[in-house]
Amino acid sequence: MNRIKFLRPGLYTSIQDMKRIGYKKYGIPNSGPMDEYSHILSNWLVDNSYSSETLEINYFGPRIKFNFNTTIGICGANFDAKINDKRIQLNRSIKVKTGDILDIGVCLNGGRVYLSFSAKMKLKKSFNSYSTYEKINIGGINGKKISKNDTINFKKSEEIIKKKIPDSFQRKYQEVSNIRVIKGVNYNIISKNSLKKLDNEFNVSSGSDRMGIRLNGNKLKVSDKKSIESTVVSKGTIQLPPAGDPIILMSDSQSTGGYPIIGNIARVDISKVSQIKPESKLKFTFISLEESESLINYEKRKFKSQLGIDFST
Amino acid sequence: MIDSLNITPSGDSIIIINSINPITLEDLSSIADKIKSSNMPEIEDTIILKDHIGLIYNPYIATYNKLKSKIISSIARNPKRISNKKNRIWEIPICYHTDLANDINNVSKKLDMDTKEFIRIHNKSSYMVDMIGFLPGFLYLGGLNNLISLPRKKTPRKVIPKGSIGIANNQTGIYNIESPGGWNIIGRTPYELFDKNSDPPIKIQQGDTINFYEIDINEFNRISNL
Repeated sequence: MNRIKFLRPGLYTSIQDMKRIGYKKYGIPNSGPMDEYSHILSNWLVDNSYSSETLEINYFGPRIKFNFNTTIGICGANFDAKINDKRIQLNRSIKVKTGDILDIGVCLNGGRVYLSFSAKMKLKKSFNSYSTYEKINIGGINGKKISKNDTINFKKSEEIIKKKIPDSFQRKYQEVSNIRVIKGVNYNIISKNSLKKLDNEFNVSSGSDRMGIRLNGNKLKVSDKKSIESTVVSKGTIQLPPAGDPIILMSDSQSTGGYPIIGNIARVDISKVSQIKPESKLKFTFISLEESESLINYEKRKFKSQLGIDFST
Repeated sequence: MIDSLNITPSGDSIIIINSINPITLEDLSSIADKIKSSNMPEIEDTIILKDHIGLIYNPYIATYNKLKSKIISSIARNPKRISNKKNRIWEIPICYHTDLANDINNVSKKLDMDTKEFIRIHNKSSYMVDMIGFLPGFLYLGGLNNLISLPRKKTPRKVIPKGSIGIANNQTGIYNIESPGGWNIIGRTPYELFDKNSDPPIKIQQGDTINFYEIDINEFNRISNL
């Protein structure tokens, strides 16, 4: 049996595929990787389709023993990673052999990294997805994050040619992340004073999780206290609860919300937000819908022409 | 109908469809059905709220303007489906015993009525499923009598057991999974309405009618142990 075993689970490691689509009407979120960009690149390294399942590894990674020969891809933030105690370079495909031990240690910058395999995991889908969602224990292994001594079985490992992520796709992690945002449907009820503070820096709170990234250090107020009708929200929606600290909704967020929506993160920047470490800072720059769409179009063409990944299928 | 509809973006991945004139849940469902029957691959989720529809779409497949015109033509082109799926009526048992309804005494006190009277009013109404969401399988039920309307609790509870039934503002709601929550808990049903191993996970649909019937704690325990 092709298998890996977790000698150490890491801080929070879970199996995620692209997303669980079509179940929001029952209150079941999309889940899926926080950083879709790195998830896609990680799959590319091992010739998987971009939506295939990977391991999402957060802040401090797992120690994994392999009992088969395969190829892995690691992509995302910069982690201290070793195979058999020898440091390895990320952002490229790496051959591993039976008996090898992969140790993904602490993250040096950013927050998450994605581990892919050139073999399909033998798992059961829940609502058409492998994505782990712990609230109702679906996806992944019994609907739970990885625990010590968990094993994952794999189908046949495919032989692939080793690849490296082109430099033009590698991201730098900065002190203050500049994040582009489209004005939200309730932007016009932000108070005059708060409007002036919108381009100040925010801190990312350590209370952030897969549901949402919580900001603090720059409280905002609304001028109109009357309650807002609940409306549809999605990954990247920025809500403003009454206490004044915005929340950016992420992969496991609910489908509707009653807090004012002050903005929506531009699609191409959501994965950047997911890599901002707690206690680091971000700044918003407002752009138009058309600008955001041209950024999407640029990214789409870049993936297609340089990596052969087609997002329209 | 199309002339009174207002289609607007929310960010680069959500489209909101609402109406200039008041619009019923039935009309919104009929619009959502028309859009659905056009099988647009870019639309990932369709969520119907009280007075609008939210569509979540994949902006790598379509831009807002392209999708908007596709939506307009699908609404204009497709015939109005005369609903053959009659909205259904569900009879749900509820136990108002204080062991299962932590807030019922407090709620009655706040409303200045006796608990029996509260139960009579809550039990008598027919409710409509306004929406499913916020939590997996959470049922928002409209039609709560104004006499027993109360705001959400200031401090949410850390754990609300599965099956708990609460009230908040003008709605009553059913927690179908255990979770934290801020609704005033006034009863519990022994029925398991949400099943993560079936697809769809919940048989009750938006627009269906729910009638509660009261059971005592012995009957609650009997059904729970079946």
